[in-house]
Amino acid sequence: MTTIQEQIQQKEGIRPLDVNAEIILETRGLAKHFELAGGFLGFGNKPTLKAVDGIDVIVRAGETVGLVGESGCGKSTTAKLLLGLEKPTAGQIFFKGEDFTKMSRAAKRDYRKNVQAVFQDPWSSLNPRMRVKSIVAEPLQIVTKMTKGEIGTRVSEVLEEVGLNAYQANLYPHEFSGGQRQRIGVARALALNPEVMILDEPVSALDVSIRAQILNLLVDLQKEHNLAYLMIAHNLATVRYMCHTTAVMYLGGIKEIGDSEPIFSNPLHPYTQALISAALPSHPDIEREEIILPGEVPSPVDPPSGCTFNPRCPVKIGDVCEQWAPGLTEEETSHWVSCHLYGDAKERFDAGEAIPAAAVEDDA
Amino acid sequence: MVDSPEQDRVESGDYSDREDADRDGFGPSTVQDDVILELKNLRTYFQTSYGTVKAVDGVSYHVKRGETLGVVGESGSGKSVTALSIMRLIPSPPGYIVGGEVILDGQNVLDLSDNEMAKIRGSKVGMILQDPMTALNPVFNIENQVGEAIRIHQNLKGQSLVDKIIHSLRQVRIPAAESRMKDFPHQLSGGMRQRVVGAISISCAPIVLIADEPTTALDVTIQAGYLRLLKEIQAETGVGIIFITHDFGIVAKMCDRVAVMYAGRIVETGDVRQIFNEPSHPYSEALLASVPKLEERTQRLYSIEGQPPPLFDLPPGCPFAPRCEYAQDVCRDVYPVRSEIDENHTASCWKLLDFDISKADPEELAAAQSVSVTAVAEEQLQEAEAVAD
Repeated sequence: MTTIQEQIQQKEGIRPLDVNAEIILETRGLAKHFELAGGFLGFGNKPTLKAVDGIDVIVRAGETVGLVGESGCGKSTTAKLLLGLEKPTAGQIFFKGEDFTKMSRAAKRDYRKNVQAVFQDPWSSLNPRMRVKSIVAEPLQIVTKMTKGEIGTRVSEVLEEVGLNAYQANLYPHEFSGGQRQRIGVARALALNPEVMILDEPVSALDVSIRAQILNLLVDLQKEHNLAYLMIAHNLATVRYMCHTTAVMYLGGIKEIGDSEPIFSNPLHPYTQALISAALPSHPDIEREEIILPGEVPSPVDPPSGCTFNPRCPVKIGDVCEQWAPGLTEEETSHWVSCHLYGDAKERFDAGEAIPAAAVEDDA
Repeated sequence: MVDSPEQDRVESGDYSDREDADRDGFGPSTVQDDVILELKNLRTYFQTSYGTVKAVDGVSYHVKRGETLGVVGESGSGKSVTALSIMRLIPSPPGYIVGGEVILDGQNVLDLSDNEMAKIRGSKVGMILQDPMTALNPVFNIENQVGEAIRIHQNLKGQSLVDKIIHSLRQVRIPAAESRMKDFPHQLSGGMRQRVVGAISISCAPIVLIADEPTTALDVTIQAGYLRLLKEIQAETGVGIIFITHDFGIVAKMCDRVAVMYAGRIVETGDVRQIFNEPSHPYSEALLASVPKLEERTQRLYSIEGQPPPLFDLPPGCPFAPRCEYAQDVCRDVYPVRSEIDENHTASCWKLLDFDISKADPEELAAAQSVSVTAVAEEQLQEAEAVAD
């Protein structure tokens, strides 16, 4: 009889990050602004909602990058941009060095084949009228030129890989539990042998006892296929378990990004510190001093000037925070933060220096 | 953020030097001695076309004044049905409370008439549900919705009613209560809406508050504020809270005692530290090992294979046996008796008796089995059906 603790120790978690691995996905200054209805009789300036406002992320083969933040921070819009479901307002997405916006139709099709998604809610993301085998086969029929027989083989292959039985291929989604449905969702994403998977809150709709099953499945699949994951989550502990790299988002921008370990053990940005302090403890005796942020997240339609976090920041250092938007600077090795607490912005500002070019908002 | 001695503790798992009262950071413990709500062997069954669903099958727990009891379990474990049974809000048919007692403030609420029960709901027992958007009516303003319970239970009118509404809204820290109470639910943020639901549930000074996953729909920082608010209200009013959740983090932060439910029964109960330090039922142990930690990187999570059994077709033995790492033959055949591990800490698992039936107290053993034999329950269920017809 093996105990639960022994069981855990026999298995391995995520593989350490290989920094020399190929960069699969990269965004540069990626932004998405939505123009809202408004203005006077349709004339004049319409308000724009800056859902994503210039983010730079790199995802390497075999790496999991976690995007964390509260609702409205732009993490889901980022996922949609990467999936090609929204057109970026500015910035570029590079897939293995090639700019997505400049790709030919055929190359874009290839991109979509290589960037697959697993969605949050396995109840609404699977078509209730289709059998499991058709759900998993659909991407193969659309994208590849495989014959019926080949598709059938591939379907049973991926179903087995996600831990489902061959006979279950003939069932409908409603005949499965939540965890199994999410396995079907993973199988569908896996069918085309993608290089990247966008995981949009893959376990938050599942029961506690099932979550670990799916997380471990994703970890094992990643090691097996050297997959790159971009995972969106609001649960910080899940991110720490899954992700090599963590990016903390607030109001459409990245406030802190880097290797997960330093971010969780030594968060630099006041927002990350507040987020971690508010997270639930894993033991009743763990006591964290909670950093209480005043007010609520401001509207992305009219975000605060300077650092977007400045109206709620408990350690704001002065007018520089309201006027200069901080850029990401590497404070420690592989640990970038966007905050004037670090660097010499305050001194330069107080000395009356003009706004640095990088911080000027382009309203074009 | 955790300081370095804290980090050491996390790494070593040694918390022995931290048995102080202020351990949850919410100030001294508010638990008092008098039991204000006690469930004894509560059973709620549903008649469905698949058969009888034993959603709650012999649940006993109690809440003391000023205490927070965490009821943990996954969906379908019966934690919410237990709460609805306390409120007598089980839709009938198909649901029937077929046995047990719910003693609220010395009175068995299952004996009350519907009219008497209506006077208790919302006044002696308050309830906060998961989704504030469905709990609030979109066509009435806040004043109206908070005032409704006060008007009905306390017979207040005019200015005194308005004063009471403002008082309730202030109790849940809604800023500018006088003007906000004219707002409609859609004008408020998620966190504010959940505060309004809180204001409704505490407006008549209940002695027990049932919180059914109140923060699941909220963001991390908003959730932290809401939990703090509940603790503050508890310190002010001494209300006993039953916190239904599937999140062990909330249990760690909020609860004094814990009851872990699986397939309609309580499998383990104890003080919060007993459960975290020494989980004695394999299900509790597995659940704790399957949750990632924030304070340190978990190397590998334990994944509980399979899924909970359907409640209309429970195996004769322990319902967790098919998913259990330790299960032996006896587990599959005979429902385990409750064993005491420590003061206030009990669990129902054969492992604790070395899988030896002869070590079990015969009376306890019979009592545990009678739940699945259900001759009495069956009879009551038929009676209840006859009445419903």
